[in-house]
Amino acid sequence: MTTHAGVTPAAAVPPAAGAARDRSPNRRRTSWAGLWFVLPFAALYALFLLWPMVSGLLTGFTDRSLGRDATSFVGLDNWAELVADPAVWSSLWNTLVFTALSTPPLVAIGLGMALLTDRARRVGWFLRFSFFAPFLIPVAVVALVWEWMYQPGFGLVNSGLTALGLAEVGWLSDADMVLLSVVITTVWWTVGFNYLLYLAALQGIPAHVYEAAALDGAGPWRRLVSITLPLLGRTTALVVMLQLVASLKIFDQVYLMTDGTGGPDYAARPIIQYIFESGFPSMRIGYASAVSYMFFAVIVIVSIAQFRLFVRKEESR
Amino acid sequence: MTAVAAAPAAARRRARRPRITLGGAAVTVAGLFLAVTWLIPLLWALSTSFKPEAETTAVPINWLPLEPTFEAYRSVLARGDLLRWTLNSTVVSVLVTALTLAVCTLAAYGFSRTRFPGDRWVFGVLLAGIMVPPQVLIVPLFDQMTAIGLVDTYWGVALPQVAAPVMLFILKRFFDGIPRDYVEAARVDGAGHLRVLWSVMLPMSAPVLAAVGIYTFVQSWNNFLWPFVATTDPALMTVPVGLGTVQSSYGILYAQNMAAALLGALPLIIVFMLFQRQVVRGVTDAGLK
Amino acid sequence: MHDTTGPPRRPGPYPLSRRTLLAGSLAAAGLGLAGCGSVADAASGRRALRQWNLFTGGDGARMVEMHDLYRREHPEIELRPTTYLWGIPYYTKFLMGAAGGRACDIATIHLSRLRGLGIDRLIDPVPTDLLAEYGVTEQTVLPNIWNNCLVDGRLYAIPLDTHLIVTYYNRTICEQAGVLDSDGRLIETTGTEDFTEMLRAVRDVTGQVGVSLDTYGAWNLFWSLYRQAGGDMSFDGGQVTMDDDRALEVLDFLRRLAEEGLAPTDSNGPATAANFTNEVAGLCIQGNWEVATFETAGLDFGMRPLQGIFGEPLTRGDSHAFVLPHRRTPDDAAVRAAVEYAAWMLQHSITWAGGGHVPAYLPVTEDPAYLDLRPQSDYRDAVRDAQFDPDAWFSGSAAPLQNDAASIFSGVFSGATTPEQALARFRQAAQQLVDTPSPV
Repeated sequence: MTTHAGVTPAAAVPPAAGAARDRSPNRRRTSWAGLWFVLPFAALYALFLLWPMVSGLLTGFTDRSLGRDATSFVGLDNWAELVADPAVWSSLWNTLVFTALSTPPLVAIGLGMALLTDRARRVGWFLRFSFFAPFLIPVAVVALVWEWMYQPGFGLVNSGLTALGLAEVGWLSDADMVLLSVVITTVWWTVGFNYLLYLAALQGIPAHVYEAAALDGAGPWRRLVSITLPLLGRTTALVVMLQLVASLKIFDQVYLMTDGTGGPDYAARPIIQYIFESGFPSMRIGYASAVSYMFFAVIVIVSIAQFRLFVRKEESR
Repeated sequence: MTAVAAAPAAARRRARRPRITLGGAAVTVAGLFLAVTWLIPLLWALSTSFKPEAETTAVPINWLPLEPTFEAYRSVLARGDLLRWTLNSTVVSVLVTALTLAVCTLAAYGFSRTRFPGDRWVFGVLLAGIMVPPQVLIVPLFDQMTAIGLVDTYWGVALPQVAAPVMLFILKRFFDGIPRDYVEAARVDGAGHLRVLWSVMLPMSAPVLAAVGIYTFVQSWNNFLWPFVATTDPALMTVPVGLGTVQSSYGILYAQNMAAALLGALPLIIVFMLFQRQVVRGVTDAGLK
Repeated sequence: MHDTTGPPRRPGPYPLSRRTLLAGSLAAAGLGLAGCGSVADAASGRRALRQWNLFTGGDGARMVEMHDLYRREHPEIELRPTTYLWGIPYYTKFLMGAAGGRACDIATIHLSRLRGLGIDRLIDPVPTDLLAEYGVTEQTVLPNIWNNCLVDGRLYAIPLDTHLIVTYYNRTICEQAGVLDSDGRLIETTGTEDFTEMLRAVRDVTGQVGVSLDTYGAWNLFWSLYRQAGGDMSFDGGQVTMDDDRALEVLDFLRRLAEEGLAPTDSNGPATAANFTNEVAGLCIQGNWEVATFETAGLDFGMRPLQGIFGEPLTRGDSHAFVLPHRRTPDDAAVRAAVEYAAWMLQHSITWAGGGHVPAYLPVTEDPAYLDLRPQSDYRDAVRDAQFDPDAWFSGSAAPLQNDAASIFSGVFSGATTPEQALARFRQAAQQLVDTPSPV
């Protein structure tokens, strides 16, 4: 679930009862009572979100380090450094490549699984379990199991390849493969969430829609293409959007599967890991804060672009 | 698992059941094939965990242990740290879930049913937090935590996970949807805000509260990055962090690794089995469909 | 961890000592959630001593053996060791734990990293009087190692061992190759020609390569040979100062070894050990820690200091050492227990020496039991001339300079990079590290 932390409500639909919402301006008297209800949340929010945001921005202009007490203001030095730091751009690139590689299979396989489950009802419980269970597994477990599967020689995947007469692949040791290996693992691990969204959407399609089409003589394939898929359009938009947001924040599985190295030649190191490395093993809190803010800006831009795209799509519907 | 099938779907199922077609059989077979493929990693881990250590790296591989043994499980449980981490995960997840429900419910009620000067403005600021992925804040947050001395404490792990704008938004929207009449009736009877919240709003919100609670729990249980940053003392680590960082002195022992991994995955699988209905329906209730 | 699986215990029905009182108030302050620091076991009357290390495999097993003995001799202390993955993951946890100030009581590090780990902010000084009380003083450690533990004249580390790059030789193969002397030792060679001549003889026997090398971790060998050639390296004044000609000479030598098939073109750490045990090579140049692997494999082999190939037989060395991570709240009793533990480990490092490391504690190295430990004691004198890595915050074991060098030099063996290109890239990488503002 960690990769989906942050269910974006922009896409959410008001519940049916939302219509009953009272919009009259004098529905409530203004008083300070309400503030007390809001206060605990606001206090935690201020302490653990606003404060680090503000302090992170300020720290980005200093040479603050984990390894010494003295901190001094360095102006735009960190920003100048990050622009010229190839590791920033290569890790940002890795993050984007990961997003581009993982999103299509995560959407397509999730949809395929949901369609299969919707049709193959006799074994539905079993499909639901095996498709969704991996999603509930902690990332450290996922990494342990897949590192074990990817082993050369006695690893399951390479054993399978050898048995088929194919050459072994250095899944985690080959710089050209390591990011793809992470994508495969991620698809296995997180597709269950998309699957669930699709399944819920599919089962919300009223039966009479299909029955009418069947009466018109539409075959199963026809019904899928001209009824089911169009009706799932909204869900697909939501899934893609959640997926993009989650993929940009990738860190956990890469860090664990590459034993903290980011893969050979840092071929799989995502930007969050570079922030982590700059801040902790390299102790440069100031620099890491600046890189964080740069990445934050990227996320905001992507979110706004996404939001506008989504809204336009909704309007044209 | 049948919870997903809402009423119309159930009707549809009855209508379709008698027809067993060739196409239907093919779909079933394809589904079963994919489902079994999807389980292979876990089955392989399960098989490995019952092997003696020497057998794990045998080439060619053995699908099933030749000499099944509980040795790996025994060693993992004897080491005791997995139990410790499970306890820590439980403490942290329960803490996070309870606090999130309490704090978000109160705030959602505040924004939905009361007005105070600047409320819209405050709500806007809080909601904007959705745009801030917690991953981006780890470095300044760690710096702040060292300053106030919360690194390597349960509070340090739990508190930053509590104020979740998404959950506030979901609850507020649900509260907005509860008809005013119910609340007004209670207010006329002289009930205060807390009273209204407790005896009118909460009972009506049980499903959405369950959904928010379960999702928060699962999310917190599986959260890796922040607990990983905030704990270095192995006695305070959660399951994902402990499994991901602490090594055996004897090098990599695959059977033990797999046994520990499966044991580490077990609690949530059990939670899922118990609450599958709510987990699946939560997607709908949270307005995510 | 058997005693820690419960929640932090409340003070039990014991007489109220200052410690239980403290534990109680702390537990109350943290609502029982302050975690189980050293106070958690106050009620049981045992002091918890939390140790962190990066030892797995043979070293890990030896440490467990020593800890078992330590526990038997110290029933009043509950030793809680934790092992993290060697390299960056370990140092990450170390730095973050020390920054938090309540992670552990004593930790192992590589001495080559000491200056880059936040002296005084993250690492507290070792009270020398306390250490002397437990029998470890300047006189009981080799001067060159002791001096490496000092920063501005104060002691910050307690050295456990020195580990070196050594030459292993397979007696069976070397005998056939005619490169053993009458005592069954590898013949002495001086200079590059002499050495490669020997490799050719060995290669002719194995039919594969002469010497097994770690081509993905070549910094160790490079630094040894570069120092033999008289090369220096410093990063003062924002400049990388090094001897290009000598570096090229060494890199070209490594290239020739691989090109001529005397050394592998592509071999990582595990493969390097495997090539020696599988008799793909008759010699192996690697850290002394592989001795346990080769003993387990039942090989008939010897060990000797790295030959003088470019001059004096100098070799890269580094030490495992204990340090006291910074604590948020001072605790003299915990420091005492930690120092006593470190001294105890030094004094019992005969077990540790089995793993090939040369004990830093001189009385152990003079012990007949150590001298009888062969081949482990055959290279002990090389420690006196051990060549530590250049001094910089980014230098040392598992630090950025070494990681960059290892990755760049691997291309020299595989033929992907010429020595000239490798040198240029190394200089560039080093310059980038020099240009990075120092975090300490």
